[in-house]
Amino acid sequence: MAPQLRLNAVAFVSPQNHPILIRTFEQPRQDELKYHYIAHTSLDVIDERIQAATASKSTDCYLGLLYVEDVAVYGYMTPLKVKIIIALELSDSIVRDADVVAIFKALHTAYRRSVANPFLRLNVPTENVTDHSILVSAGNSRWQAFRKRVDEIGRASYGFVPSPLFLVTSKIQ
Amino acid sequence: MTAQRVTITYSAPPAFLATDHWKQVYAALLSQLPLRNLHWKSATRPNIRTIQELDVNLVSAEAKQTEHTSQIPQTVLEKPLLSAYIVVCDDTETYRNTVKKQIKEWHSTVTQRKNMEWLIIHIVRPDAIATSGRMFQMKASVLDKIKADFNVEKRDRCVELVWAYDSDYENPTAWADLIGKLKDGILCAFDAAVAQREEEVKRSEGQRQMPGWNFCTFFILKESLANSYEGMNLYEDALDTYNELEILFFQVLREKNLSWFGTLINPAPKDDSLPLLSHSKKPYRDLILANTISVFDFRTYLLARQCSILGYLGHVVEIARKAVAFLSAFGRRLRDIEEILPTHFIESWTYSSALSVVEQCDAWATGLEMNKATIASFNAVKGELVELARHQLDIIGISVGHLPNRPPFSMAFPSNSRRDGGTPATSSTQRISKSEILMALEDKNAFYKVYIGITNRAIELYATAGRRKFALKMHGDLAALDVHRGRLSEALQTFTSLPAHYAPHGWTSLESYMLFQALGIHTAAEKPRDREWIFILLDFLKAYVQDLGKELLMNTEDHIEYVTSLVQALHEATQEAESDLSHHDHPAISVSVPNGQARTADNRDGALLEVQVTNALPCDVPADEVIINLTGRDGAKLTFLENVKSLKPGKNAITLFCHSATPGIYSLHSSQVRMSRLSLHWLHSSTPPPSSSSASRSKKPPTLVSIPRDIRALDVRLRQPRRMELGTPARIVVAFNTGRNHVTRASVKLSAPSGVEFRHNEATLIDSEAGEDTFVLSDVEADKTVYVSVPHSDASAFHAMRVNITVEYTTLVEPDVNRSLTLVRVVLTSLPLAINVEDFFRGTRLFTRFTLSSTSHQHIRLKSTELRATRDDDGLKIAKAMPRSRTVTTITPEQPGKFLFQLDSARGQDREPLKLHIIYRVLREEVESVIESAVDSSLSESVSLQQYRAELIDTLVQALEKDASWVNRYEATGELIVPGIPVQDGEVGEALAHLIETLANPSSNQEPSGEWREIIIPVDVPQMHIVAAARLRVLSNPFNPDAVESLPPLFAGQPISALLTIKASFHWAPAEDVEKRSYRMRYDIEERTKDWLVSGQKTGEFIAEDDRTFTTSVTLIALHHGHLILPKVSVAALPIPGEGRMKAPLIPSCETYQAHGAEAILVLPRGGRSTFVVNMGGE
Repeated sequence: MAPQLRLNAVAFVSPQNHPILIRTFEQPRQDELKYHYIAHTSLDVIDERIQAATASKSTDCYLGLLYVEDVAVYGYMTPLKVKIIIALELSDSIVRDADVVAIFKALHTAYRRSVANPFLRLNVPTENVTDHSILVSAGNSRWQAFRKRVDEIGRASYGFVPSPLFLVTSKIQ
Repeated sequence: MTAQRVTITYSAPPAFLATDHWKQVYAALLSQLPLRNLHWKSATRPNIRTIQELDVNLVSAEAKQTEHTSQIPQTVLEKPLLSAYIVVCDDTETYRNTVKKQIKEWHSTVTQRKNMEWLIIHIVRPDAIATSGRMFQMKASVLDKIKADFNVEKRDRCVELVWAYDSDYENPTAWADLIGKLKDGILCAFDAAVAQREEEVKRSEGQRQMPGWNFCTFFILKESLANSYEGMNLYEDALDTYNELEILFFQVLREKNLSWFGTLINPAPKDDSLPLLSHSKKPYRDLILANTISVFDFRTYLLARQCSILGYLGHVVEIARKAVAFLSAFGRRLRDIEEILPTHFIESWTYSSALSVVEQCDAWATGLEMNKATIASFNAVKGELVELARHQLDIIGISVGHLPNRPPFSMAFPSNSRRDGGTPATSSTQRISKSEILMALEDKNAFYKVYIGITNRAIELYATAGRRKFALKMHGDLAALDVHRGRLSEALQTFTSLPAHYAPHGWTSLESYMLFQALGIHTAAEKPRDREWIFILLDFLKAYVQDLGKELLMNTEDHIEYVTSLVQALHEATQEAESDLSHHDHPAISVSVPNGQARTADNRDGALLEVQVTNALPCDVPADEVIINLTGRDGAKLTFLENVKSLKPGKNAITLFCHSATPGIYSLHSSQVRMSRLSLHWLHSSTPPPSSSSASRSKKPPTLVSIPRDIRALDVRLRQPRRMELGTPARIVVAFNTGRNHVTRASVKLSAPSGVEFRHNEATLIDSEAGEDTFVLSDVEADKTVYVSVPHSDASAFHAMRVNITVEYTTLVEPDVNRSLTLVRVVLTSLPLAINVEDFFRGTRLFTRFTLSSTSHQHIRLKSTELRATRDDDGLKIAKAMPRSRTVTTITPEQPGKFLFQLDSARGQDREPLKLHIIYRVLREEVESVIESAVDSSLSESVSLQQYRAELIDTLVQALEKDASWVNRYEATGELIVPGIPVQDGEVGEALAHLIETLANPSSNQEPSGEWREIIIPVDVPQMHIVAAARLRVLSNPFNPDAVESLPPLFAGQPISALLTIKASFHWAPAEDVEKRSYRMRYDIEERTKDWLVSGQKTGEFIAEDDRTFTTSVTLIALHHGHLILPKVSVAALPIPGEGRMKAPLIPSCETYQAHGAEAILVLPRGGRSTFVVNMGGE
């Protein structure tokens, strides 16, 4: 059994590279800037990965370890091009991709469930129904439920509950 | 440590080895090396491994044997894989006697050795083959004998090398056999050795759980495999082996908790500055064997080995990536035991290692061919390494006080680590050894130099790698350093340029952080709070109010307080600003109109509108004015404004006032909040450019605002003048109603889009000054209506005229307010009546008949028509034929009215035109006024119903519009029967019922109230030179024309004498022709051949003189009996030749009437006897 991965921060970025949500978990206040920077700089690496993926015709959502900067930054892109970036506490042991992908799947599900909320569209003009970015404009107050879901996943990664990740992932089905 | 190479030993009789011949052969053999294209087919691996090139050591067996062999597992290549024996013997006899024995001796030793192949090389000269081979074919050759003697199994381990001194070394065919055998031998031995070693490794690994198993021993064993692969140039296999070892290491680490390792780290003096990827900087293997290696050394060694193999493979990107991950992860682990490490050991180690890896990678990368993408990722990962080194400088800098302990510098601290920033206490007495770091620790400036140098290096690498966002971050770091060093202007420049990079994609958190820095620097640098500062601040507030924007204001404990102070400072700055500033679409404040219904102000002209100003900032925002602009039809604009002091956080309901509000529907165009010289604008009604790509921008329907009519407000109406006189300039009446205002001055301007011009300067009214394009009214009291008549150019081409009225006025109560009212009114210009005139001359009298008809579908009520002379002394006598009984006549389009006047005048006067005065009104107007007066009189009894006045009138009018059945009865009797009004309950219903009752039963016969219109039409008195009255008179006695006796009976066929008299009158001749006494005229009696035969002078000319009668006689014969009308006589004036100046004949005007026109003569049938002969038949 792999050691519990510690999730320091999560960022959701829209297909147009607008930040949707940036959450840090149990991090010192001073480090907020760091994770915002990480979310932003990761986009460069994600672009590189997307190019490489396009070249190799890969359709995998998981973009792997993006880079290491005191934390391990992993990337994931949903089929609708929403980018999810997580910063895991560096550990001096081998991190299995499957564990990271499990976290991403949970986060992706949280996003999907939130976007599916029909009330998000309450005051949105109808002509661009396919454009999610309107819905998810940064930190929208209607985004509370999403924030809560992401926080739950973040808390789960801190391992207060035995295998909480599985609780979350099992909801996916 | 260089990789062990494959060894081949050779043996030969010592005598031969000493010969030149051998030396040549040896040299030639070496030139065939390295071996190429070896294909290793291993039983344990699915694929054939191909070795492109393999270096081989060729040593003599004696030399090799002297080497001592240890118990430590070395590579399988350590021992020779192949032993060769060189035979030079052409002679079978010699072979049999001596050589065979020698070979046997050698063979017996080599076959005992495990994992070694052997090979006998028989060197022959080409001539030997030629001689011995050919000639003694029957005899077996030496080679055959050797084969027969030594070859066991199926393998052929004997090979012949045809060798000539002067032959071509390079000839591959000569060597092919030998080289092939060498390759086979090597691979075969290698395969066996590897298989055996793998077996050992597997066995050892299987004992992992047993007591006494030692990881270090196992590591050395398995590593020997890796080394073997490496020696065989099988790098992938070597790397795999190391990777397996690494995985096992982590497993063991978890299971056994490092019991084989002395300590985590045992820092040696130079550990922090030695190149990371050198695996020879320490005797690592010895340390491993001695079980004394520290985890630090072990991990370093493992990484170095992996990287060096990757280096062979040219995977520099992967090396650098591995190094970053290792340095970060292992550095993190070292943090746990920081207190036993030398001060700054971790930082120094990470710093030097990262930079040394960059160097090493660059060394490995030289000569490598990389594609564009690989170069980019290589630069990117090098940038990461350099950045990692930079982070160490951050940590050191903070701990020794060269840098402040705050972001971005403090970001380098690993999360969950100590944050105090001080130098950690350490039990170690050692010192770090990296000279750059040591220097930087001592000297602040040296530190900054290194810091900036490293950062710039990272920026450069990131830039070439295309990682713009990383480079941006680094620029931010440099700017932060500038701030710390007090180089504020440089820092300010960077921090003001950075936000633009973060804003476009909504990274407001970073944007606001940069702006926050810029503001801080601005304050610290004590720069004037100028325009630039204001805009930075506005940008900051913009980012701040967006949801992400607040997240990074970590330096300010209470950011509300901070923002409050900023807003306060902004207010002060705007007051001192030198020029007006404007800013568009700032999100901190928004203005909306929650309810689009404006109210009228109770005590003054204008409208009030509730707006909601939302302040998203957490503090009061001082503001001076809130303004919204509305646009209406035809570009009409209204401005609502209100002075305010400040806007509190959240929603502010503010009532704005517009002093010049023309009623109507408007859409919200823009809004504005003024703060001293700063004005914030928002555009609401979007008129986006058609090619706008910002489709995502929400397209909202316009906000509509309806402004009600204020009954008490100043109002201007237009109408046709009540009295119209054709032929004079057209006028329009402006009804200027002051309402509640005592107007001190008002200027009114009329303009028509149709191009009709208004002559304002000829406006006739009371107390007005007329200007070129306006007219001005002064000091008009409240509730007064001033009528101004304004002439305008001809508008008869239009049915109706649209007039824009602009009124600018000031009132006594508010002398400072210049109100302006823009109204659009439509006024009818066409006449509702059409008039036709017919004139009939009778001697000195003239009868004029006017036919009036309605031009529209409307019925017109005529009160009177009157023909008047312009002057009283004209000598005209006008009599009107009009029944007195009826006061009002109704004309309709189908039923015109005819009015006849009789004129008597003196002769020969210049006649002024007459004027026809018509007093009329349209039926609709009349009925409306009837209704209004009925409603008013009805409502005067009940105050509570006053508000329903308009509604009641509307209801009635609409009912009348729907059904025309009431019209005839009303016109006849004045009773207005309102059809089809449903019975309603309540006060209104009752009032309505009462009204209908009243209207149906008018109180008396009096003429309906309401205004009458008057139209004055000038009518010229017609002129005629000659008015001739022709008369044909039947004479009873032809010989006495004057006898007045009754006519005898007249019979058909009987000649009847008649007298033709033509009386001329020059009474109506134009004044200039009064002198003319006579005209030549011609008469002509009409031929009416069915009735009359005319005998006599039917046609004739005569001289006509005024009031004289020309007489002639004719004889008529009636052709049949009955009442016959006498023939008409036409009279025409003959042209007067050449009298005019133009010498053109002049025809005087002439009109003739038949004086006998109404007379008929009774003609009897002719009397007498008629004889009819009737044939009776017979004979």
